[in-house]
Amino acid sequence: MTFEQVNSKVIRVAVSPQGAVLARRGAMLGYSGQVTFRPIAGQGQGVGGMVGAAMSGESNKMMATEGSGSVLYGYRGLYVTVLQLTGDSLVVEADRLLAHDAHLQTSIEMVGQGGVRSAVRGAVTGQGLFTTRIGGQGWVALLSHGGTFPIQLAGDTVGVDPQAYVAHTGALQVDLKSSVGVRDLVGRGSGEALQLHVSGHGTVHVQASEEKVK
Amino acid sequence: MIGGIDSPTYDASTLPADDNVNPYAFSIALAGEWFVSKGAMIAYYGQVEFAGVSQYASRASWVAARFSSPLYVQDWVVATGQGKVLVADRGYDINSYDLDEGNLTIKQTNLLGFQTSLELKQSIVPGFVTLLGTGKFLASSNGPVIFVEPPFRADPESLLGWADCPSPSQHYDHNWMAQSFMSGLQGAFGRESGEERQYDFTGAGTILLQSSEATRVDAAMLRTIESQTNLLDNQSAGALGQRLVARAQRQ
Amino acid sequence: MARLHAEKRVLLADVAGDSIRAMSGSMVAYQGKVEFKHAGMGGGGGFRAALKQKVAGESLTLMECTGQGRVHLAYQAQDVTVIGIENDTLTVESEHILAVTPGLTLDVQFAGLRGMTSGQGLATTKVSGTGQLGIVSDGPLIGLEVVPGQPLVVDPDAYVAGLGQLQMSLVSGVTWRSLVGDGSGEPFSLRFEGHGRVYVQPAER
Repeated sequence: MTFEQVNSKVIRVAVSPQGAVLARRGAMLGYSGQVTFRPIAGQGQGVGGMVGAAMSGESNKMMATEGSGSVLYGYRGLYVTVLQLTGDSLVVEADRLLAHDAHLQTSIEMVGQGGVRSAVRGAVTGQGLFTTRIGGQGWVALLSHGGTFPIQLAGDTVGVDPQAYVAHTGALQVDLKSSVGVRDLVGRGSGEALQLHVSGHGTVHVQASEEKVK
Repeated sequence: MIGGIDSPTYDASTLPADDNVNPYAFSIALAGEWFVSKGAMIAYYGQVEFAGVSQYASRASWVAARFSSPLYVQDWVVATGQGKVLVADRGYDINSYDLDEGNLTIKQTNLLGFQTSLELKQSIVPGFVTLLGTGKFLASSNGPVIFVEPPFRADPESLLGWADCPSPSQHYDHNWMAQSFMSGLQGAFGRESGEERQYDFTGAGTILLQSSEATRVDAAMLRTIESQTNLLDNQSAGALGQRLVARAQRQ
Repeated sequence: MARLHAEKRVLLADVAGDSIRAMSGSMVAYQGKVEFKHAGMGGGGGFRAALKQKVAGESLTLMECTGQGRVHLAYQAQDVTVIGIENDTLTVESEHILAVTPGLTLDVQFAGLRGMTSGQGLATTKVSGTGQLGIVSDGPLIGLEVVPGQPLVVDPDAYVAGLGQLQMSLVSGVTWRSLVGDGSGEPFSLRFEGHGRVYVQPAER
């Protein structure tokens, strides 16, 4: 089973009794065949998992697609990036996860913990850096404004705007840093007060926009 | 000296005639009249005049016969004259459709213009209009249009239009509604997510889809719903009013 | 020396010990050692600048990116164009300026229908000198020639830039989205005459 890119904003997925799909609620554009949709509560270990709901602090945004048929997915005209996982794992900002094979393992992770988090808690939770780690072998589809571009890292560091961060793979350390004193956050700054500092070996996927997915 | 802008440049004579300039802009070769959605035009060359549809209809009686939709009349103008008129919509893809003694139903907020040889009627499905006859019309879509055939069920928000098949019926996913009720999600939503209700198409024909959009405010939708509240008695209307106020305060 | 180049929807700005000015908040990623600080309006300081700030509002606030490295700049996933200017002047709608290299000066101007106080109008910026300018547009730019005897009328919300010997006037019309009701109201369009070129985008701001 593959995730077929219909155009830059829509994918088509064949769903079968052996291959269910988890997708963001509201992302189904249309379908043919005998297909049913079921909201799932809690993030978890595949279908029906309950782990992590309390941690993310909000109800899960995913649903299960089951049965057999062909389903079109997209979300509010956002661009869709399709990635194939071959045993490695991908970390994606939770709101940007459009769909993935139901048999993949998922867990909630908080990136950029520590650092300035304690100092400017309000600002950080406003940035919403809850991520989903996805592992196994299968397909994943991500949402972004205008598509994503990869930045390769080989031991160096890249600064990323938290609102432009989409996902990363590889052995990367992600820290949330304040580039200026907390005092400057109040007045008019450069608009780049909080940054993610990503270092190590791997790939960061960034979008060319500072719009979050709601 | 200024360099580096490699975008194609046109003038009044080199702009395409009734064709796309790029996927996101269309050039109308105006020689007579077109119906054009207010705000769809981005530029024009030539002697072109614009008048409100009802204003124009008082001078030309055929207009009222062609534009048979009082609901949308204030959102449209008649463009008259000779020239090239560029039409665009939020950077969306612009598609032109040629009807030959045919009919196609399309989402009203995506319809940008049509030749006066076509006739416009309101569809029975709220927010949609039907074009009938022979001629060209322009409509936008969020990403390229996806064409599918029945049997097919479409999310109301991603449905762009349909041709040659019967009007859709509504399909409710009972499994979804039972599940979301059990897990207490229904209340948390406050709104539909699109999975509990679809438009169900059967028969033969073509369905047009787009990626669901962050919907543009359809002013006519408010007018439609408001006119339907006449069906309610005073007590029911009051109850509805209170629920709407409560909803507005939650958001 | 600071250099700009466009890669799809991202503007890559390389700084080498110097700085560029960019739209505030437009950094999506950077590599190397770069610092960002508020740089105010494009038009310099003093009373005149403060007055322009008042009329042009927030249409052009810039930050200075200084150091050694590469900054990835972007705005709402819009298309990016890098323009080379050599002893010349280009007029750009202020909200479309993404970055400028040193050597170019910016001067904000306001074209309104009923003077500077109505808020209805355009904040345009004259960019002059020698250097590189990065601009954004919602969709690919379309160039439209203006020659004597062939005036062009443009929706102010689709206007991006203009060059050459152009005279711009504001005309009222029934055309644009800003018009409410049927045939009334006072929306305006931009009418260009003279000899030059106007760039529009296939979207309304």
